[in-house]
Amino acid sequence: MNGSSVAEPPDFQAATAAAAAAAARASSSEQDEWSASECGFLDPEVQRTMRSGSAAEDITQYPMHGWVDVTREFHDACAELQPGELAQDMLFGLFEAMSAIEIMDPKMDVGMGFDKQDLPPPSFEAAIATGAIKLDDLTPSELIGIFDALFSCLVSWLEGNSMDQVLFTCLYLHAPSQIKDKALRVFCTAVRNLIVVIKNIIAVAAVNEEEDFQLYGNSALLAAEKAQPAAVYSSLKEVEDQLVRKCKKLTTATEDWMAVVHRLRFMRHLFQVIYHVEQMASNDTVDDKVDIYKILLVASEMLPGIRNTLDRGTQPEKGSEAPNPMGFSPRIHDRSQPPAFPRSIKIRDRPASYQFLEEMISRFKYACKVSKYKDYYSALNFFIEYSKKSGQCILSRSVLQSLFSANMRMAHGKLPMKQFLRYSVQIFNSPPVLNAKHPVAADPKVQQHLENFFRYCINMNTFTQFIRICGFNRARQRDKLARLIENFDTIQVDAARLDSLMNQLANERAMEGNEPWATALKHSTHFSTWVLYNCFRAMLIFLMSGFELELYAVHEFLYIYWYPYEFLIGFLVSALTRTENILLAQEEYAEHQSKIQSSAGGGGGGAAKSRKAAKPKKNKKQQRPYRAEIVFYHALLSLCGGMYKAMGALTKDGRVRLPLSQFDNEEIRYNRRFLPFATLTSPPPVSYAEFKNIREHMMRPSVEDLYTYAAKHFDQARNVLESIQNPDQEMLDLLQIARTNFVVMNVLARGHQKEVKRQPEFDFSKHSYFPIIKLK
Amino acid sequence: MGDDVSESVPVRQDQPPSYEKSDLVEEDQPTSVEEVALELMNFPASQKKAVLEDGSLEKTVLEVEDNPTTSEEIAMIGGQDLKQYTFCVFQEESHLKVLQSLIDEELSEPYSIYTYRYFVYNWPDLCFFAMEGDRYVGVIVCKLEATIGGVLQGYIAMLSVDVEYRKRGIGRALSEMAIEAMAMKDAAMIVLETELTNKPALALYESLGFIRERRLLRYYMNGVDAFRLKLILKNSADLSFSED
Repeated sequence: MNGSSVAEPPDFQAATAAAAAAAARASSSEQDEWSASECGFLDPEVQRTMRSGSAAEDITQYPMHGWVDVTREFHDACAELQPGELAQDMLFGLFEAMSAIEIMDPKMDVGMGFDKQDLPPPSFEAAIATGAIKLDDLTPSELIGIFDALFSCLVSWLEGNSMDQVLFTCLYLHAPSQIKDKALRVFCTAVRNLIVVIKNIIAVAAVNEEEDFQLYGNSALLAAEKAQPAAVYSSLKEVEDQLVRKCKKLTTATEDWMAVVHRLRFMRHLFQVIYHVEQMASNDTVDDKVDIYKILLVASEMLPGIRNTLDRGTQPEKGSEAPNPMGFSPRIHDRSQPPAFPRSIKIRDRPASYQFLEEMISRFKYACKVSKYKDYYSALNFFIEYSKKSGQCILSRSVLQSLFSANMRMAHGKLPMKQFLRYSVQIFNSPPVLNAKHPVAADPKVQQHLENFFRYCINMNTFTQFIRICGFNRARQRDKLARLIENFDTIQVDAARLDSLMNQLANERAMEGNEPWATALKHSTHFSTWVLYNCFRAMLIFLMSGFELELYAVHEFLYIYWYPYEFLIGFLVSALTRTENILLAQEEYAEHQSKIQSSAGGGGGGAAKSRKAAKPKKNKKQQRPYRAEIVFYHALLSLCGGMYKAMGALTKDGRVRLPLSQFDNEEIRYNRRFLPFATLTSPPPVSYAEFKNIREHMMRPSVEDLYTYAAKHFDQARNVLESIQNPDQEMLDLLQIARTNFVVMNVLARGHQKEVKRQPEFDFSKHSYFPIIKLK
Repeated sequence: MGDDVSESVPVRQDQPPSYEKSDLVEEDQPTSVEEVALELMNFPASQKKAVLEDGSLEKTVLEVEDNPTTSEEIAMIGGQDLKQYTFCVFQEESHLKVLQSLIDEELSEPYSIYTYRYFVYNWPDLCFFAMEGDRYVGVIVCKLEATIGGVLQGYIAMLSVDVEYRKRGIGRALSEMAIEAMAMKDAAMIVLETELTNKPALALYESLGFIRERRLLRYYMNGVDAFRLKLILKNSADLSFSED
């Protein structure tokens, strides 16, 4: 079409045929071999790759390709093309087109960043030769400058920059063994080892995505000196001690030297923690005497001192890209990067880097608390909270995953997850069949069913996956949750089958007159409640995370808030209430049994009676373990209801902009937003038609009434939230949202701004799920 | 187009929508506003793999040079007079220069010539120009391909309107033209990416019925997040919720 050559094979064939013919001719005639540099393979990574293609390990020469000059043939072939025509290989697609770099275009060509006069960026050897870097007798100020700059590079690497373009711009890291200054050598060796260890942790935890972290860098640089993480701690300690002794003899500059010592010490503690976590993640046998939490405390205590002495180090020069005047060659790897458009690298400044490290250490400390959570319910809660607070940092997220799996391994022996889940159901709603003391526990048939169920849970990977998903960044979590929710369906079916089997067995035992067994087996939907509860949670997080990620348009708020208000939160509350009731009933039954036993044992004294009278009260409190969560859901329910009706009122009032397009179709949008729920048996999907009916009904009253109804919901939310004792920050924020929106709804109900129908602003800055509605 | 809002507004028959479009307009601003400047694809090397896998571009930058317009105004386009403009599809090599000049000038992030060629020579009929007289004032570049799942997916790769001609509904007209062309060819959905901070573009696509389906963290070379926008044209069950 249009006479373009792209679609026309003859031109392409003409071009390729000429090249092919030339190549065939050349292969028979001997030509001079071209040297590597002439071929343009200056890049060490390319060289390495090329070498690795050959069987021999140590090749100092390039493979003997028969390089041929085809310039003339090429020009001849080109002559057959019309201006604008292009010979396109079948395999040259969008990817290749996008990867192509137009030479000499400053936006694409990295080399254009260099002036003709610019010297090549100095390598380690070159810098030594020119005296640009010192290897021995560094002053404290020089050491502090380099150490601080290296911490900045480390932080910048953890923030997603390329390892080569931040850390390995430090020439000292290229060959620490050649450094004579012991403090510098040991510190640089520690950084190199830290890189290896951190990479391992992140790779094993596997909750990283390409946008989080660049796992791969120029491995040749790391391979140059072997990592020996086990030796790092002691060599840091040794050099610290030496410097401390040196300080004692000195009369001047002792504070400067102590600032060096503090940095070494901080590195030692940081390294120790990270190395230990790595060991926990990858080995079964770990020295569990190392108390990470304590080391973290020490490390965080070092930081204020370090931050106070930042000015004692050499500072980066103004206008220079180097994070420190000595030891860094910022552009050294620019030319060895994968062929892509130049990306600017930003290295955090020193105060901000130490700030990052300080926060990271407190995140690690927080992560240590995971060992307290021995069952799925509380562990999942912890992961969800942790993700909210520490979701930004890939290393913190990975550390939590490592600590959790190591913790499980230690707590539950060889088959951790299955036992963990079994134990978790027991903790969650205590199905009598899971009680080891119960006679039914010995029934092989019952045990087989249980075994099958839990094995299925493990095979489906749904529960473990939920916890792992909480380790991903917030945007990816949503995508992954969508698929997780679909997975819940088969487990729900299995759990329901198990429940009904237990009931069936209970009936059989009752027929046999075996009452204790019958009672034990008679459990009201324990397993399906547990599965459903977790499924509902995944659904709620999925739905609400769309607000956090700013995925919803204002006109979509109505159906998004409607679903949790009408269904989801109610389901969650009833799952928890049902669970509490079960626990309560079991407690009463146990009491009843013991009463029978004690009365059978012959009369109860006054003392026994009073004890019994006091006991139920205490137990009742114990048996309401989900009270706080239920109350919180009540608040969410009212907030969702408030938002749902507020959106209804605003829409009816003409204050919500709706898509004005022939292509828009609300039903399609609705179906798309709830797509992951569509495959579930329970809760059954709610069709768009149903939604529309409900909405129509909701929107029947007058606008003023609708605003008033919305206000009432916000008022309810306020009441619930105010009733909570010792509310945390989230509750207080929600309270403020409820209060403000209550006022705004009342204002609108009274007809404020009736003449100007503007869409209000929805300010999500207080809470990621609920906005403060602001009238402009 | 644009007047049929009744479907989206849940009210009873006897209670027609209680507002007119014009009610929603800021008093002190002109009505018809459209300020989509530029859209281009570009993606870091690390993300190129994704391109290979699903055949779609991973990155689209939509840049707005001056941004005095609030997003709500963008959504309020409709009914403006576009008679003075003519529209045509990509026809010849000289159009490539026009395309480049309309897009390249404004951009911070680059396209190679091959990228332009890839689109306009594979899908010349999905590349539309807007002209005033003989002056080219806007362009939209799209493609249409089957995904791995077998559904036809349209993709808006670039959209650019000359700075002097913005806020006149040209971008919207071009988008509608392109979407319609893809719909005629049986596209099941249209996707694109745009920068988190490009409110006018987001508002335009939102008003066309696109939803923001995914957030793409640190998508651009400058570290800014993007949204993947989707407009589903066919209500079909086989359009799975995927990471495409």
